[in-house]
Amino acid sequence: MQPARAPFRRSSAPWFLLLPAFLVMAYAFVLPMLVFFRYSVYTYERGKLIDEFSLDTYREFLTDPYFHTIIFDTLKVASITTLCSVLVGYPLAYALWRVKSAAAKRWLGLIIFSPILVSVVVRSYGWTVLLADQGPINWFLQMVLGFPEPIRLVFNLTGVVISLTHVFLPFVVFPIYSTMTRLDPTLREAAMDLGAGWWTTFRRVTFPLTLPGLLAGAQICFTLSLGAFVTPSLLGGGRVIVLPLQVFTATSDINWPLAAVGGIALLILAMLTVILSNRLLRFSEV
Amino acid sequence: MLTRARRLPHYRYILLGMFAVAGAIYVVAPLAVVVLNSFSSVAYSVFPPEGYSLRWYVNLFEQQDFYLAAVRSVVLALIATAIAMTVGTMAAYSIVRYRRPWANLVKASLLSPIVLPNIVLGVAVFMFFIRTGAYGTYFSLVVTHVVVILPFVTAVLTAALANYDWSLQEAAMDLGAGPLRTFFKITMPQISVSIIISSLFAFVISFDQVETTLFLVRAGDNTLPIEMFLYLQKWQDPTIAALSSVLIAFALVIVVVLSLVMRNKDLEATLLQQDRETDK
Repeated sequence: MQPARAPFRRSSAPWFLLLPAFLVMAYAFVLPMLVFFRYSVYTYERGKLIDEFSLDTYREFLTDPYFHTIIFDTLKVASITTLCSVLVGYPLAYALWRVKSAAAKRWLGLIIFSPILVSVVVRSYGWTVLLADQGPINWFLQMVLGFPEPIRLVFNLTGVVISLTHVFLPFVVFPIYSTMTRLDPTLREAAMDLGAGWWTTFRRVTFPLTLPGLLAGAQICFTLSLGAFVTPSLLGGGRVIVLPLQVFTATSDINWPLAAVGGIALLILAMLTVILSNRLLRFSEV
Repeated sequence: MLTRARRLPHYRYILLGMFAVAGAIYVVAPLAVVVLNSFSSVAYSVFPPEGYSLRWYVNLFEQQDFYLAAVRSVVLALIATAIAMTVGTMAAYSIVRYRRPWANLVKASLLSPIVLPNIVLGVAVFMFFIRTGAYGTYFSLVVTHVVVILPFVTAVLTAALANYDWSLQEAAMDLGAGPLRTFFKITMPQISVSIIISSLFAFVISFDQVETTLFLVRAGDNTLPIEMFLYLQKWQDPTIAALSSVLIAFALVIVVVLSLVMRNKDLEATLLQQDRETDK
C-alpha cells in the first residue's frame, strides 16, 4: 500500500461500499415515492389523468363518508388483530420461556415460528377452508356443541381478524420472548424471597419488565395489519374494504390520484403508529 | 420455585400448558386442513371429507402454469437475494466498520422502507416504471424485490457485524492479508449464521411477495403466489390445496435442513442477540 494514497482510500472506502445500496434505494424507492406524491395532486377527469395541480382528490377523500368508512375499517381490523395477537402471543411467549424440557421448548418454538416460511396466500386459503360454512369448525360447532346452523365465520370481519392474527403471531411472540430471556432471574427470585406470590411477582416484576417487548410486538403487528392486502381480499369476500384494497382498486381503475391519496393515508397511519409506540416505549422503559 | 413446582404442579402451570397446546393447534390447524383437503375426492370443501383421492395432485401436475410460475419465483427470489446480500453486506460493513458520525443516519435511511406498507411501494414503483418506460422489464421486478428485502438483510448484518470481534480482522490485515481476502476468510465465517438466516428470510420474503409483484408482472409472467392468488379469486377447488401442500412440504424440508445445519450452532442465541442489537 502506498502511504500517499492511503488517506484518500480510507476516506472514500465507506462511501464506495454504500454506493450500490444508495443507488438501488434511489431508483426503486425514493424516485418512485416522489412520482407517487406527484400523482396525488394530478387531476382525474372522466377516466383521464391530467397534469394539472389540484387538491380535489384530497378533498374528496377527506369529506366522502365512503372513505371515512374505509379508514375506520382499516383501523378497526388493525386494532382488533393487534389486541388478539397480544392476547394470544403473550401467554405463548410466556409458555415458551417457562417450559423446562428442552425438547418441548424446541418443538413449541418450531411450531410458532415455522409458519413464516409458508406463503400468506396458502395460510389465508387454509383459513377459508377451516372457517367455511361446511368446514371443520362449523362441523364441530354443529355436531359436538349442537349449534342449530353454521355460524358465518368467513367473508366478513371475523374471518379477516382470525386469519391476520395467525399470520402476524410470530412477529408478536418473538419480541416478547426476547425481552423475557433478557430478564434478570434474580429479580424474580428476590421478589419471591421477599414473600410475593406468583401473581404479585408477575404483576410487579415480570410484566412491567417485558412491557417494552409487548409494545414492540404490538407496533409490528399494527403496522403490518394496516398494510395487509392478501388476507383481507381472500377472507373479506368484498365486504371488508381496507385501505390497501382501496389503493389496489383505484390503481386498476386508472384513478391514480385516488390510489396515491389512499396510499399516503396508509403511510401516515403507519408512521403515526411508529411515532406513538416509540413514545410509549420510552415511557414504559423508565 | 423449582422445587415447589415439582412437588405439586400448580394449576397455573396446567393452564399455561393447555394454552400452549391450544396455541400450537391454532397455528397448525389451517396448514393441516389444507393438506387434508388436498386428498379430498370432491371439488368442494366439506368436512369431514367425503372420500380420498389423488386427483388434485394429478390435476396440479398437468397444469403447466403453476410449474412455470414456480420456476419463475425461484429464479427471481435467488437473483434478488444474491443482489440484496451483496449490496446489504457492503452497506452493513461500511456502517459498522468505519463508525463515522453519519453511520446511524445512513442505517436509519436504509431501514426506512420497513415502515412503508408493501402495497404503497408496489403502486409507487408501478407508476414510476410506467412513467419511465421501464414497466414490464425483468430489471424493474428484480430491483423492486431487492428494495423490499434489503432493509431486513441490512438490519441483521449490521447487528452481526456489531457483535463481531474486529481485532481478528486487524490481526489478519497485520499479517498481510488483503481486505477482500480478510473479509472472505476471517469475517464471513464469523457471521455465517447471520448470513444464512438473513439470506433464507430474504429468499422467503421475495418468493412470497404479492403486494409489489402484483403490479409489475404481465399476465403471462406471473410468479407462483400471484398465480395462486388470482386462481383463488376465480376458483376454490382443491388443486390449490395440493399445491399448498407441496409448498408446506418444502417449508418443512427447509426447517429440517436448517436445524441439521445449525445443530452445532446456537441458532436461538444468534437470533436473540440480533434482536438485542437492533433494539439499541
